[in-house]
Amino acid sequence: MLRKKRSLEANIPSSSMADIAFLLLIFFLVATVIDVDTGIGMTLPELSDLDPPPVSKDRMAAVLINENNDVLLDHEPISLFQIKSTLKPRIISKIDLPKKKKLIVSIKTDRRTAYNAYISALDQIKMAFFEVRDEYSNAKFGMKYKDLSKEIQKQVKDAIPIIISLAEPEEVK
Amino acid sequence: MKFEKKRASSKTEIPTSSMPDIIFMLLLFFMVTTTMREVELLVDFKLPQAEALEKIENKRLVSYIWVGKGAKIQINDSIVEVKNIQQIMYGKRQALPSIIVSLRVDVGARMGLITDIQQELRKAYCLRINYSANIKI
Repeated sequence: MLRKKRSLEANIPSSSMADIAFLLLIFFLVATVIDVDTGIGMTLPELSDLDPPPVSKDRMAAVLINENNDVLLDHEPISLFQIKSTLKPRIISKIDLPKKKKLIVSIKTDRRTAYNAYISALDQIKMAFFEVRDEYSNAKFGMKYKDLSKEIQKQVKDAIPIIISLAEPEEVK
Repeated sequence: MKFEKKRASSKTEIPTSSMPDIIFMLLLFFMVTTTMREVELLVDFKLPQAEALEKIENKRLVSYIWVGKGAKIQINDSIVEVKNIQQIMYGKRQALPSIIVSLRVDVGARMGLITDIQQELRKAYCLRINYSANIKI
């Protein structure tokens, strides 16, 4: 009886190696996140010797943060996380007003205030503006602000401009 | 008597056909793990967290100022003093007029220092700034 001889050459099939490598490449291409810088954008005021023009009281929302990170919004003590809900109705009430009567939020901190508290406050203020913008675009155009076209975005921007003023620091240290 | 060493009759060759693939994989691995860092950080800092974040679209315009623990300020590759910021940043602004200054500040920093830096930036006419923050989960 003849027995089949087993071949002793053992090969790893290598023809699909390239495909596996290719799949890996695609996987990593998709899964890699190129870290984008994120942060809260601001524009500093120009340095000038002139006094800032007087602004009527009802346009201003003054946020004060002291060294214990307590917040005072228009002379009323509130918590950091109430800033958004307090500012929102005030922003909404000024949507239909002309450009020169929109809300200005001013932030003033003490020299010993923690940076963290300042960022949280700024975050709350920005969020208030962003949410009002979103609600306004939803009511008027049925879309979120970021999904709108450039021209309509500008329209919304004009209706709800983000005006945040950084108060001039006091001279005393 | 003849002594003969018994040898396995199978061929002992390492398959080399997959060598390029292995090299390809190695290349991929290093591509994935390499982080491109141009500056060496000399300060220790932890970024704050926030929700209303914006992305900086144009990375080319960004210039960083790091403020770490112990009120240390780093620009480029060295620790600087507050009074030197104006000169450095003015030079940068001349090279790149629409510069965005990204402030990467430690959570525990005091606002006094930040205010001083901002005053220097205003003097250097670098008015577009960005407080770097991580997204709050």
